[in-house]
Amino acid sequence: MDPEAERIVKDFTSILEELTFNSRPIITTITKIAEENISYSQYFVDALENRIDKCVPGQKLYAFYAVDSICKNAGSPYTIYFSRNLFSLYKKTYLLVDNNTRSKLINMFKTWMTPNEATGGPLFEGAALERIEKFLIKASALHQKNFQLKLPTPTVPLLLRDIDKLTVLTNERLRNLPNDEKLLMKLNVLSQLKQSLQREKLSQDALRQVQLQLKQIFAQDQKVIQDSVRRQQQQNEQGESKQSSKDHTMENGSKETGSYNNNVHSESSTPFSPLFSSSSGSTPPVSSTLFGNISSFLPAQNFAEIERSNKISSLNKLYESLNEEGLLYEPPKESVVTLYNKLNKDSELSSINDTVKNLPPISTLQNILFDCKAYFSTVNINVSNIPSLQFNQQNIANKNPLVTNSLINLLYRVKSNKCSTCGKRFGNAPEEKKLYNEHLDWHFRINNRIKGSSVSSTSASLAAAANKNIQSRNWYLSALEWINFKDDFIVSTKEVVDEDRQTNSQNNRAGIVTLPSGGKISSATGSNVSEESLYNKFVAVPESSVDMTFKCPICKDVVSSVYDEESGEWIWKNTVSIDGKYFHATCYHETSKNSR
Amino acid sequence: MSLLPGINEATEPLELVNDSNEVHSLAIPIGSQWKVDLPSDFKLAITIKSGIAEVLGTELANDTEYHFQNWKFTVFAVEDVELSWKCTQSLQPKIESNNTASQIYNLHFALEKVRNSSFYGPKVLIIGERNSGKTSLCRILSSYTIKFKSYQPLLINLDPNESIFSPPGCLTATPISDLLDPQSPSWGQSMTSGATALHSKQPYVENFGMEKISSNKQRYMSNIEQLASAVNKRITSDALVQRSGCIIDSPSLDQYDDNLDDLEQIIQRLNVNMVVIICDDDGLYQKVNNRVKPIIGDLMIRLPKLSGVIETDDVYKRSLQRSAIREYFYGNIQTVLSPFTAGVDYNELTIWAPRDLTYDTSAGKDEALELLPVTLEASTLQHAIIAITYADKNANKEEVSKASIMGFGLITEVNEKRQKMRILLPVPGRFPHNAAILTSSRYLE
Repeated sequence: MDPEAERIVKDFTSILEELTFNSRPIITTITKIAEENISYSQYFVDALENRIDKCVPGQKLYAFYAVDSICKNAGSPYTIYFSRNLFSLYKKTYLLVDNNTRSKLINMFKTWMTPNEATGGPLFEGAALERIEKFLIKASALHQKNFQLKLPTPTVPLLLRDIDKLTVLTNERLRNLPNDEKLLMKLNVLSQLKQSLQREKLSQDALRQVQLQLKQIFAQDQKVIQDSVRRQQQQNEQGESKQSSKDHTMENGSKETGSYNNNVHSESSTPFSPLFSSSSGSTPPVSSTLFGNISSFLPAQNFAEIERSNKISSLNKLYESLNEEGLLYEPPKESVVTLYNKLNKDSELSSINDTVKNLPPISTLQNILFDCKAYFSTVNINVSNIPSLQFNQQNIANKNPLVTNSLINLLYRVKSNKCSTCGKRFGNAPEEKKLYNEHLDWHFRINNRIKGSSVSSTSASLAAAANKNIQSRNWYLSALEWINFKDDFIVSTKEVVDEDRQTNSQNNRAGIVTLPSGGKISSATGSNVSEESLYNKFVAVPESSVDMTFKCPICKDVVSSVYDEESGEWIWKNTVSIDGKYFHATCYHETSKNSR
Repeated sequence: MSLLPGINEATEPLELVNDSNEVHSLAIPIGSQWKVDLPSDFKLAITIKSGIAEVLGTELANDTEYHFQNWKFTVFAVEDVELSWKCTQSLQPKIESNNTASQIYNLHFALEKVRNSSFYGPKVLIIGERNSGKTSLCRILSSYTIKFKSYQPLLINLDPNESIFSPPGCLTATPISDLLDPQSPSWGQSMTSGATALHSKQPYVENFGMEKISSNKQRYMSNIEQLASAVNKRITSDALVQRSGCIIDSPSLDQYDDNLDDLEQIIQRLNVNMVVIICDDDGLYQKVNNRVKPIIGDLMIRLPKLSGVIETDDVYKRSLQRSAIREYFYGNIQTVLSPFTAGVDYNELTIWAPRDLTYDTSAGKDEALELLPVTLEASTLQHAIIAITYADKNANKEEVSKASIMGFGLITEVNEKRQKMRILLPVPGRFPHNAAILTSSRYLE
C-alpha cells in the first residue's frame, strides 16, 4: 500500500471509530470517502467489516448503516465485496443485539430486498440475501416459540376476558371515527368469536391459535393508538415552534446533526410483525398478560371505570345466585392453614376462587406452611442428646426417621430467610435477622463494587482501579501468617471493616493479622502511610533523563514532569524510585501491599 | 466479476441456528438428582424456580441463574424442585433417585453431635476407591457443616490431583468459613485483591509438584508432615476451627503402599479420630479395617459408592486441572483477574526441582528429599508452572524445601540468547527475590 493510500485508509478508519452513535454527518463523510477512492475499496470494506465485528453490540447497527449508505450511494464494487461476509456479520450482529435494534436491522434488510433503481436487482448478491432471509425466518420462528411459552395457558374465560377488553378498545376508537366500516366489522367478528367460544368446546391448540390472533390484533390496535398519540405530539410541537422563532432555528440545527436512520428509512417503516415490536420487555403480570400495558395508550380512567362497574355488577349477581342456592362458603377463621386446606380440596368452589385473588399464590402459602412445620419438628431437639446419632456403622447405614423427618430441617427450613442472591440461610432470631440484613447490605456493597458504580474515594488512580474492580490473585500466606490468620476477617459483613478495605489503601496484611479476633474493629491502627503522603511523594527528574516523562510499569500511564516552585526543580509527582525504576507511589504501594 | 481480488475465497460453512435460546423446564422429585454429565465444550445455565436444590451440598438460590462449564456435577432435590435450564448444545437430562443421600445426612448429624458436645471437633478422614465420590463427600460435609451454625471446618486436601482453592499438584488446608461456589469445580476463589461475589477462602498450600504420589513418596510424606504441623498449630490457636474439626480428602487407596503404612502415618500426623471409607470391595474394606482399627478403634464406618458419582476419564481430569491453572491466574467469568507478565533475567532466578524417583532410581532413601538445581533452558522450562517459595533466592536447598509456598508462576517464554524469561505472575509487580521449585505441570495458553 503506498503512503497516500495508507493515509486515506487510516483517516477512514479513524472516522469510523467515531461512529459510536447514530450520526448522519459521520456516515455521509464515510460514504463520500468511499465514493471518491474506489480504488481502495478493498481496504474500506475490510475496515468496516472489522468495525462491525469488533465494536460493542450497541454500536454495530450504526456501522451497518454506514455499509448501507456506501452500498446505496457508491454501488459496485462495494456491494460485491460486502456480499461475501454479509450473512455471517448480519447473523452475528442480530444474535447479539436487543429486540429494538433487531427490528431496525430487519427494516434495513427490507430496503436491501427492494430492487435497486440503477441495476434493477436487489442491493447485494442474491445468495447472501437469501441466507439472511432464511435465517430471519428461523429466528422469528424460534422467537415466537419462546414467546408462546411465556403466554399463560389459554382457557375459555381468559380468552373471553381478552375479547371483552378488545371490544371496549374498539368501541373507544369507533367513538372517534363513527363511520369506519372496518371497525364495525371488527366488532362484529369479535362478538361472533365470543359466541362460538361460549358455545363450543375447542381443543387446546385451537384456543392457543385464538389467543395468538387476539394478541396480534391487539398489537395492531396499539400501533394505531401509538401513531395517533405521536401525531398529536407532533402537532403540539409544530404549534410551539411557530410561537417562537428561536426554538425553530434550534430545531433546524438539531435536525442537521440528526440521525441517519430517521431520514433514510422513514418511508420504509411499515407496521411490521408484532412479534418483534410488542414483546421486547419481560412478560407483564399474569392477570392481564395480553393487555399489560394498555393503560398508557388509553384514557385510563374511562377504561378502568367500565371494567370496575362490569366486575361489580357481575360479582353481585354471582353472589346473590350462589347465596340462593346455599353454595356460599364462609371460612369460620381466616387462618392461613384452614384456608390452604380448603383451597387444596375444593378449588372448584368459585367463591373461594374469588378470594384467591387477594391472597398470595399457593406456592407462597405452601412455603410458609412448610417453614412452620419445619420449625415445630425441631423444637426441643438437642443434637447432642440423641443416641441414634452416635458415630457407628449401624446408625449411619440405616434409615433414621429422626434425621429424615426433623433434623434435616435444621439445614434448610428452620432458617427460613433464604438469601435470594446466594442461597445462604438465616434464622428468625433477632440476632440472626440482624446478620441477614448485614448480609444483604454486604451483597449490595459488593455488587456495587463489582459493577464499579459507587466509590467515593478521593484518590484518582485508586478510584479508577476500584471502579473497574480490577483485581488479581493474592499470594498465599506463609505458614506463620496462616496459623495466626482468622477467617472472621474475610467473612465479616460488618460495614466498618468492609469500608475500611475499600478506601484504606494502607490496610497492609500485617495490620490485618494482628487484628483482635472477630475482626470487627477497623485496622486503622495498622495504617501508617496515608493516601495524602503517597501523593506528596515526588522524584526530581534526573539530569540524565532524555525526555521528561516516564511510563509507570504498573498502570502504564505516562507521567510527565511539572515545575516545582519551592525546590526550583522539575519533578514527577506521586512517584517513587525503586531500584532505578520509577513507579506511581500509589500504584507501587497498592501492589506491594498485595504482594507482601 | 471473478476478476475482483478475493471474491472467490470460500465463505464460512452455513451454521444453523442452534437451540441455545431455548429454555427447557425440568422437575426433580424430592430425593432425586440430575447427574449433569456436561461435555467439556457445553455451557449450561440453571435457574431454580421453586423448591430446594443443592449442588454438592451448597444450596442454590431461587430465581437466580447459575452458569456451569467444563464440569460434571449433580443437582440434588432436597424438596420437589422445578427448574429451568438452557444449554448451548442439546442435552438430555436424566433424573434418577439418590440412595446415599440419607446416609450422608446421618453422617453429617453424627459429626454435628460431636461438635455440639465437645470443644474438639471431629477430624474425619475420607478414604476410598478411585471415582467413588471422596471429594464430593468432603464437599457436601463441608457445606452442611456451615449451614446451621457458623462453624469453620478445616478442609484438608491430600490428593495432589485435585485442585481445591489451588492449582493441581498441591496439598492444601482451607478453613471453610462461608459458602462454597456451586459453579466452581475448584470449590471457589482463594483470596484476591478486590471484590468477589462470594467470600474468598484463605488456603495454606504445600507444593508436592508431581502427578503421582509414587514418584516421590518421601517428599509426599514430608509435605504432609509440614502441612500437619501448620494445621495443628492453627487448630490450637483458633477455637472456632478447633471446634468445627477437620474434613480430610485423600488420594484413592490404590496409591498407598501395600501395607498401608502411609495411611497409618497420615492418621497419626493429622490426629485423625474418625475414618469414613467409601468402597464396594469387601476384601479391600477388611484389609483397611484390620489396619485402622488398632489405631482409632471402632470409629470407622463404611459407605457405598455415592450414587451421585459420574464416571469420568483421565481426559476430563486433565481438563479440570487445566481450568484450575487458568482460574488461578485469570479467575473465571464472575471474577476476572488480571495477572502480570514479568520479564526476569536468568541471574534473578533460582529454580530447584524435586527428585522424580521413577527415573532417578539411583537415589537412596536419604537423598529422595533433596532438591536438585535446575539448569535454565527452554526445553525444561518452557510453559512450566513453578512454585515460588518464601525462601530467599540464595537460600540453601534445605531451607527452600522447608519454606512455605507464596504462589505460582507460569514461564511463558524462555529466551536463551538474551538470557531472559517471561513469567506470568498472579500479582502485578516484579518477580520476588525468592527461590522457586519446578513442578511437573505444563500449561499452554
